Amino acid sequence: MTELLVDDTATQALSTAPQPAGAASRNRVRTLWRSLTSMRTALLLLSLLALAAVPGTLLPQRSLNPVKVDDFFTAHPSLAPVMDRLSLFDMFAAPWFAAIYLLLFASLIGCLVPRIRLHARALRRKPPQAPKRLERLAVNDRWEADGDAETVIRSARETLRQQRWRTELRAEPDGSWSVGAEKGYLRETGNLVFHVSLVVLLVGIALGGLFGYKGTVLVTDGSGFSDVPSSYDIFSPPRLGSESALPPFSFTLRKFTASYQPTGVPKSFHAYVDYQPTPNAATRPYDVTTNHPLSISGADVFLVGHGYAVHIQVRDKTGRLVYDRPTPFLPDDAMFTSHGVVKVPTGLAHQLGFTGFFYPTYEATPFGAQSSYPGPASPVLSLAAWQGDLGLGSGRPQSVYTLPVASLTNVGTKMLSPGQTWRLADGTTVTFAGLDQWATFQIAHDPGSTVVLVAAIFIVCGLLSSLWVRRRRMWVRATPTTGGPLGGGDGVARTVVSAGGLARTDADGFATEFESLLRRMRG
Amino acid sequence: MPGVNVSLAHASDVLFMWTVLVYAVAMFGYSAEFAFSRIGRSRAEKPVPDERRVTPEQIGRVAVGLTVVGWLLHVGSVVTRGAAVNRVPWGNMYEFSTMVALVAVTVFLVLLTRQPVRFLGAFVMTPVVLYLGLAGTVLYAPAAPLQPILNSYWIKIHVVAAITASGGFMVSGVITMLYLTRTWLDRRASVGPGTAAAVEYGGLSRWLPSAERLDRLAYKVIGFAFPVWTFAIIAGAIWAKYAWSRYWGWDPKETWSFITWVAYAAYLHARATAGWRGRRAAVLSLIGFSCLMVDYYVVNTVISGLHSYAGVGG
Repeated sequence: MTELLVDDTATQALSTAPQPAGAASRNRVRTLWRSLTSMRTALLLLSLLALAAVPGTLLPQRSLNPVKVDDFFTAHPSLAPVMDRLSLFDMFAAPWFAAIYLLLFASLIGCLVPRIRLHARALRRKPPQAPKRLERLAVNDRWEADGDAETVIRSARETLRQQRWRTELRAEPDGSWSVGAEKGYLRETGNLVFHVSLVVLLVGIALGGLFGYKGTVLVTDGSGFSDVPSSYDIFSPPRLGSESALPPFSFTLRKFTASYQPTGVPKSFHAYVDYQPTPNAATRPYDVTTNHPLSISGADVFLVGHGYAVHIQVRDKTGRLVYDRPTPFLPDDAMFTSHGVVKVPTGLAHQLGFTGFFYPTYEATPFGAQSSYPGPASPVLSLAAWQGDLGLGSGRPQSVYTLPVASLTNVGTKMLSPGQTWRLADGTTVTFAGLDQWATFQIAHDPGSTVVLVAAIFIVCGLLSSLWVRRRRMWVRATPTTGGPLGGGDGVARTVVSAGGLARTDADGFATEFESLLRRMRG
Repeated sequence: MPGVNVSLAHASDVLFMWTVLVYAVAMFGYSAEFAFSRIGRSRAEKPVPDERRVTPEQIGRVAVGLTVVGWLLHVGSVVTRGAAVNRVPWGNMYEFSTMVALVAVTVFLVLLTRQPVRFLGAFVMTPVVLYLGLAGTVLYAPAAPLQPILNSYWIKIHVVAAITASGGFMVSGVITMLYLTRTWLDRRASVGPGTAAAVEYGGLSRWLPSAERLDRLAYKVIGFAFPVWTFAIIAGAIWAKYAWSRYWGWDPKETWSFITWVAYAAYLHARATAGWRGRRAAVLSLIGFSCLMVDYYVVNTVISGLHSYAGVGG
């Protein structure tokens, strides 16, 4: 019994037990390390991690929705900068959030290393010696069997082995034989596999963060994209490694289609693309849809958004075509009421710009115009024309989706259906020539994701065995009977068999298992 | 609406209504057995057995029978809903809620075949009936096809795991509350033998299984639900990799699932450590359950995120 206790306290001292006071004066660092790796600290850090994640779900986050963060800054002009300095809008990339999980993982590793050593030793160690009095154990039994002690004990050991118990046969000084048996090592193995896999998972996440890249690009029907950083609208390069190492693929968006339920709820999205894995490779078609990205040379192309591109033609008063291309409009609601800007800086006497709203299914309501369905059932383009300096020559970066209307002169507004033409006062004509669609693609490369996936599989396997496998010990002792009414005289050897067992983790069901084992031993 | 079999959808709604009704009657049955049982009283008070009188035990058995009937209706309601829209029946919050309740009742019925846990009846069926009531009224969404983003076989894997784990956590939460009640009664009763408090609270506490047994039962159910929850998160991450281009992005739903996971992980660690067993571990488990509820209700309805499939309010 003492052996059992020694084993348990050894395990607990590593993780739970308060340290002796003397240690503190001897070595401060050691004490600090010990308290970091104690179970209480681990629990505290776990709780802290959970608690720290909460504000990230309540406050707007840049990584999820930068517009909401800007709104928050507008609403709380004095508070927001202070909060920003505390990384509250980039919670999950905040240094103090990283501090919590890195401390947790330090504590975990500090706890794991000695436990792995201890478990490796336990795996090599023979099952412990039988306690003197087996009847003192929680489950125990005693019976008499034919045959001499050694035969009886060997058959009992065979029974245990068949049930995959680890056994050790011992001859005791008083002439009896005992077998010690243990089972359920997989519990601690699983526990260690689970925790080691957590560390591996973190490494995989870090790999992705350091060497992965992602970017977003908007492509209109008929246009193409090639994988170089300058082609992206938004690009986050890898933090380590070169961004010139992007796989040299390219694709063209042949056509984007969306279908909707009568209520306007989307039914399906398809972006039909033609792609080339390398510049000289043959072109292959692919249908990029939701849940179905295109994987090319380690990068994945996802369909993440869509909208309408309004095709506008502008002619000067002599009828010469000066502008002829689709312009992407950005959706404002689920029914794709969209807004956009068209800029015609050259070819006319004055620079010309338009701000506009586009309604795929136009409906006039008391509150103004709106779209009542996301599909193009009755498309209407509402334009306002502006003349003046569009500011493109100022050298200052300008968004393609805004127009500096304050410094421009409004020269009229008009609603147009496809095919309709609007003649401005100076003779310039504007034609709503047609409708295209655009799709936004996210292109992502995450070299750590395989590591993360493998670690995750081991996490589940380790968890299952650490929670469901029970560690238990059992002893059987065979003692030759001396001089009883049955032993001796008639030449038939008789043996008293006693057995006892101990469930070290969860006692439920152990008694049943014990009984069925004994039934097998008795034959 | 196209893509919806209207008569099957209607059948599903009718079956749902009957499910709630039958469960409610079963709930009253369990409560009656619980309330009229004589366990807490002295033997002298025990009435003479009367052939014509219904014993609390019989009421309890009828309640179990009703639970099985309700369970069958419940399965019928879920299956017809799935058939009506020709897809898995867990595409919005109403459907998800009825599935969680179905798992909770299933876990209870399975436990019942292995352990004498009929006392749990009232405590499982009451939240289930309330939960279904909420699902059928506030969260109700008419039968409709899935949004394209949900159109993946991962909906079978990820959502089934999430439903199973949630049902398990719900049952363990109920058992944990009973555990806390029992320990509270025991503490009250232990003021001194023979005092009025000891008699009153001691009598009450005998209606419940021992604190130790409740504690172990709760642990067992969490031991089942936690790996399933872990798997649900991982399956969700794999799906997210295909649907949203990254396996993890700290979306509110992801974050609260993670918080729930961490809370239950803390519970398991606490329980593995001698000093934290019992009440403190129980409190941690209930914190985990509250996180699950936030993950499920608050995130779906109040916080907007990528998991906004609730279908509530349109």
